[in-house]
Amino acid sequence: MANAEETYARMRKAIEEYDSDAAAAAAQEAVDAGLNLLEAVEKGFAEPIRSLGEAFDRMEVFLPQLMLGSDAMKAGMAVLEEAIKAGGGTLETKGSVVIGTVEGDIHDIGKTVVAALLQANGYQVHDLGVEVPAGRFIEAAQSQKADIIAMSALLSTTMLYQRDVLELLGNKGLRDRYFAIVGGAPVTQAWADEIGADGYARGAYEAVKLLDSRKGAWAK
Amino acid sequence: MNFKEIAKRGETGPLMEAGDFLMKRLSANVLKLQKSHDIRWDGKTLLNLDDAMADRLWEAGRELLLASGIFSMSSKRVIELSAAEIDEALRFAPDRLPMGSGKDAVTAFHRGVEDPRRPFVFSGPFNADTSEEMFVHLNEAFAQERLIDSLLFPGYLKVLDGQMIRPTSALSSRAAMLYGQWAREAVRRAGRPGMPITGHAVMALNEIACTNEAWGLRSTDPRAMVLISELQVDDVTMTRLAYYQAYGCPIYLAFTPLVGGYGGDPAGTAIVAAASFIAAAVLGGEVAHIGPQHIKYKQQTNAHSLFLASLANQAVARNSRIIATTSHTTSGRPGSGEEAAQYPREFSALAICAVASGSNVTGPRPAEPLGFNNVSPLMARLFAEVAHAAAGLSRETASGIVGKLFERYKDRIDLERAPKGQAFEEMYDVKSLRPTAEHQEVYDRVREELVALGLPLG
Repeated sequence: MANAEETYARMRKAIEEYDSDAAAAAAQEAVDAGLNLLEAVEKGFAEPIRSLGEAFDRMEVFLPQLMLGSDAMKAGMAVLEEAIKAGGGTLETKGSVVIGTVEGDIHDIGKTVVAALLQANGYQVHDLGVEVPAGRFIEAAQSQKADIIAMSALLSTTMLYQRDVLELLGNKGLRDRYFAIVGGAPVTQAWADEIGADGYARGAYEAVKLLDSRKGAWAK
Repeated sequence: MNFKEIAKRGETGPLMEAGDFLMKRLSANVLKLQKSHDIRWDGKTLLNLDDAMADRLWEAGRELLLASGIFSMSSKRVIELSAAEIDEALRFAPDRLPMGSGKDAVTAFHRGVEDPRRPFVFSGPFNADTSEEMFVHLNEAFAQERLIDSLLFPGYLKVLDGQMIRPTSALSSRAAMLYGQWAREAVRRAGRPGMPITGHAVMALNEIACTNEAWGLRSTDPRAMVLISELQVDDVTMTRLAYYQAYGCPIYLAFTPLVGGYGGDPAGTAIVAAASFIAAAVLGGEVAHIGPQHIKYKQQTNAHSLFLASLANQAVARNSRIIATTSHTTSGRPGSGEEAAQYPREFSALAICAVASGSNVTGPRPAEPLGFNNVSPLMARLFAEVAHAAAGLSRETASGIVGKLFERYKDRIDLERAPKGQAFEEMYDVKSLRPTAEHQEVYDRVREELVALGLPLG
C-alpha cells in the first residue's frame, strides 16, 4: 500500500508542475491504495491550488499558470470524485457557482480568473463562457442546482444585462433562490445596489472573500 | 494583404476554441519566444535602456504573430499570416497620417526613440461616462486646449433622456447620432471646426450612425477599433473596420496587452504587445494604440506597465514605420486639493516614459472614473505640455524623472485607495469654461514640481 504522504506529495507536485496526466495518475494511485479520499482532496489538491491562487495574487505566477494548475486539479478531481461517488460518498464543496460574462460582452479574462480562484478555494464552478443571455444563466443555475450566480461585464454598455438577469429571476419567482453577485471593470457597489444584486466584488480574490464571508446568506 | 483576404480567412482559417488559441498557441509560443530571445524584466527597471533587447523583442513579436495568427472570437477561426504577408504590411505601413480638415488639419507621424520632435497628442473625455447635459461643454473645453491635436473619444453617452442605453438598441443609434452632432458642435464652438475627432462611441455596431459629413464625424476623422486581449477580433470590430476603411477614415487600432494575463510577466506581455502592434498594421491600422494594461492593478502607471510601454514602444520605434501612441489610464482621478496631485504625477510618469521611447500620446483618464464627467481639460493641457517637454530627452534623463514620480504615487495605485476626484462641472466654471482656482492650483503646483524634477517645461 502506497504511503499516503508520498501519494499526496505526488498529487501536490502534479499541480505545482501543471501536469494534468500526473494529477490524474496520482489521484488513481490514491484510489487504488484505498486512502481516505476526502483527505486526499484536501492535502493533495486543495492545498497546492490555494497556494497557486495566492501566488497569482502576489503576481509571482500569471494567468497561464493559474489556468494550467486549475486544469490539472480538474483532471485529478474527476478521478477522485468518481471513486467517492462509487463508494456512496459525496464530495463536499463550499458551494456551487454558475458564472459567465453577460450578453453582448465577449470579454473573458476577468471572469476566467474569478472562476479559477473560486475553484481553487473549494467552490464547484460552472463556467458558461461569454455572451451569456439572461435566460441561460437561470437555466444553468437550475440544472446545476447552483447556490450562486456570478455575472461579469467589462463594458459600460453591457453591464445593463446584469440587471436583466436579476429582473428575469424576479419575474420567474426565483430571485430568492440564488445569491447573485456582479463584477467587472465598470461595475461598482452603487450599481450593484441599484440593480438589487446581493454582492459586488472588485476583483477575483474579493469575490472569494465575499462568498466566504456571506455564506450564511447563500448556503441552502 | 487587403481587407477582403483578411475577412475571408476569418471565415476559412483553422477552427478552434478560444481557450485553445490563448493557451496552446499564444501562451505556449510566448514562453518559448521569451526564452529563445532572452526577453526579461529585472524587477526594477521602469524605462528600458537596452536597445538590443528592444530589437530582440521586435523579432519575438513578429514570430509570435506568425506562429499564432489572429483569432476571430465570432467565427472561432484563426486568421493565419505568412512571413511575407507580415513583412509586406510593415513595409507599406504609413509613417505619416493626415487627419482633420481645412486650417485644422494635422498630421500624426512615426517617432523614433529620443526623437526631438513633439509627439502628436490625442486627448479628450476618453470614453469616460459623459452626461447629456455636459457633453458639449466638456468637449469644447478639451477642444479649446490648443496643444491637443485630435479630440479623443468624446465621451460615452450611457444615459439619454433618463434611459440607460443598451448597445444594440434603437436608442443606441440615436445616441450615436447625437454623439457625432455634439462632438462636431463642440469643436465648432472652440473655433476648430476641422479639428480631427477620434471617434469610438462604444455603442457596438450602431456607432457608425454618428457618421455624417454635414453634422457628424467625417471621413477626415479617425475611427478607433479595439483588438481583444490577446490578438483577438470579433465581428463587430471587423465590421466597423470594413465600413470605416471603405468610408476613407484614418484607422486608429487599439489593443491592451494585459500584464499577468495570457502573456505572463511584463517581459512576456511585451512580446504580445509587439505582436499586437504588427497585427494592427496587418489589419490596416494607421495609428496603433497600446494600452499597457495590468490584471491586478487595472491601470497603466504601475511598474510593470511602465516597463512594458517603454520596451514595446522602443521595439516599434527602432524597427518599423508604425505610428504608435500610448494610452494613459491612472489610479488617481482629477480633482482639487493636496491629493489631486496623484493624477498628474501618474500620467506624467507614463507620458515621459512613452515619449522618450518613441511614442505619441493618448489620454489621460482615470482607469476607474467615479460617476459622470470625471475628466479634466486642464489636466489634458498639462499632459500635452509634459509630452512635448519629454521630446528629445535622453532615456537616462527621462528614467530619472520617471523614477522620482513613481516613488511619489506607487503606494497609492490601489484603485480603492486612490483619490476620488471631482466631476468636470465641479472643476470648471461651465459658463466661462475656465478651471476653478482650486483645480488651477493643482496644475500650478504639479507643473512646478515637474520643473524641479528636471522636466524642461519652460
